[in-house]
Amino acid sequence: MKQKRVGKVHVLIVDDEEIVCKRLYSSLTKHGYEVETFTDPQKAMDHFAENRKFDIVVTDIRMEGLDGLDILNAVRVLKPGTKTIMITGYATMEVAREAQTKGAFDLIAKPFKPKDLLKLLDKAVRELNQEGG
Amino acid sequence: MGEERRTSTGNRQDEENDESLSLGSVLTSEGFSKEDEEFGEAADQALKQRPSFSIRLRLILSFAIIFLLPFLITLWIMHTLANLQDKILFLEVADDYKVEIQQARRFEKNYLLYGTNLNDALEHVVRAEAIFKKYEDRFRKVIGEDALDEMAQNSRDYIKILRNIPESQNERPQMEKKLRSHGALMVSLAQKLTEKERVWVQEKMELMRRVPFIFLLLLLLLMILLVGFLARHILNTLNRFIGYTQRIAAGDFTPITPARRYRDEFSVLALYINRMVRALDRHHRILVESHKLRAMGTLVAGVAHELNNPMNNILLTASVLQEDYLELDEEERKEMLDDLVAQAERTRKIVANLLGFARQSKAVVETLDIRKILEETVELIGNQLRVKKIKLHFDVPEKLPMVHGDHQLLNQVFMNLIMNAADVLPEKGEIKIKTSTDQREGFLAVDVSDNGPGIPEHILSRIFDPFFTTKPKGQGTGLGLSVSRGIIRKLGGYLLARSTFGQGSTFTVLLPITTIPSMLSARQDRERKH
Repeated sequence: MKQKRVGKVHVLIVDDEEIVCKRLYSSLTKHGYEVETFTDPQKAMDHFAENRKFDIVVTDIRMEGLDGLDILNAVRVLKPGTKTIMITGYATMEVAREAQTKGAFDLIAKPFKPKDLLKLLDKAVRELNQEGG
Repeated sequence: MGEERRTSTGNRQDEENDESLSLGSVLTSEGFSKEDEEFGEAADQALKQRPSFSIRLRLILSFAIIFLLPFLITLWIMHTLANLQDKILFLEVADDYKVEIQQARRFEKNYLLYGTNLNDALEHVVRAEAIFKKYEDRFRKVIGEDALDEMAQNSRDYIKILRNIPESQNERPQMEKKLRSHGALMVSLAQKLTEKERVWVQEKMELMRRVPFIFLLLLLLLMILLVGFLARHILNTLNRFIGYTQRIAAGDFTPITPARRYRDEFSVLALYINRMVRALDRHHRILVESHKLRAMGTLVAGVAHELNNPMNNILLTASVLQEDYLELDEEERKEMLDDLVAQAERTRKIVANLLGFARQSKAVVETLDIRKILEETVELIGNQLRVKKIKLHFDVPEKLPMVHGDHQLLNQVFMNLIMNAADVLPEKGEIKIKTSTDQREGFLAVDVSDNGPGIPEHILSRIFDPFFTTKPKGQGTGLGLSVSRGIIRKLGGYLLARSTFGQGSTFTVLLPITTIPSMLSARQDRERKH
């Protein structure tokens, strides 16, 4: 199902709902991803800046403090080429679409199943492979 | 950016509102309070069923009475003048009669003294007799039957004596005596006749001098009475109608019921005012409903988002459980099941809040704890404030006096005030909710303040007008504050606004503090239980 890159694919998950982090962590890890999760977007960004190993960032849009758009902007500056997937609810659909025009890889609407996200990650990995050659 | 979403939903709601406004009559005939309509119609029937006594008829009657009096007086004067003319003519006749008698007596004297003029005396008395014969009926009327007979007898005797003068000197003194006595009687009767007529004429003249003054006095009295009657009727009714307009302006849409026994032009006015009031009431209800729709729209958007998070958690957890069930150990499964229950619980709470807000019921005025309502409101829209990163200061003490109000309507008002504040605030603005009891005696004050741009004075005076909005086209209905003020007034309170341009605005809701002893004791009971 998944085309593996050379080495592990690093995924950073940012969502202020702890359950989302826990479930995505277990599910994605099971599928071979190297996953780190943060419920605090500021800490997530600091971590991203410190070690720029992440290939894919999955972030919720509406959070306390920094929001999904801030993260997208920071990621594009810190490590261009990182695939950012926005998690959006009904109320943030417009923001998510705007994020896509600003360079987000894709968006996923709540509520979703782990395999919905896995499909998007698959797609992202394919693109990363193509870009990486 | 969050507002853009609100704009698009706002647009849709505006269209719906417009539609509901134009469909007002349809809505009324189908849904809105049939009882009120029926009560209004009963009032109309009662107004129509009274016997009619129009102002027009009253005016006509008054003027007819005022006309009738001079008309009668004129008739009387004309009649009296005709009488007078007749009497004056007759007075001349009576004078002629008297003169003839007097002449006869003068010649009689000459004859008795000098033996001359006997024929002259006879001639005059015969002339007098002719006058008497000619006007016998009139004479009778003036002096009566007895005097008339006496007059005729005297004159006959007088003529008889004059015609039969005795030759013998012996009989002369007796004849002279008789002649004198008849003559004197004739003169006195003639004088009595003229005197009586003259007195009558004088009396009538005197009366005619007095009657116009009496008439004027009577007329004045009558006019004062009639004007007083009409003015009282019209002015009293006008005052009553002024009262009605004030009552209606204050939001009391009870139809006008008959206050008098008779129906008149004002009854027609009352019918039309009742019709107007029904239309106003209808529009008012539509306004409240449409505003509620808008509030609901905002709320539903927020709630939908709120629901998304727990639903997402449930879906993710359930999916993981389903897919990896066998690979998970007992502890992991239990944790996931706990998460499922907790998240389902979370959705239930959100839905309960939404239902509480949306329950369709009439205004139920009850004693309320305002803190609870404010907390609910803040919880409902907290998410939208967080999106805008607006800081909310909640300065509401635990123990507050109970107030009169309707739970749902107050939720709506506070939500509206807070959302209005949020709309004008830039990101990271601040909203403060504060209560106090010392602003007005007997009232609990809730201040909703923001540190936004404030409202210029020329706009401040218009913000409560229906359809007045400063929001961009499509974002506001212009009904929020107008409907909110309507709601607060209906609950017996006040909604006030003050603002310093550049420093923010404060909206104050004053609600009457409950003082009914039974309610207070109910509250104390509740407090004891807690």
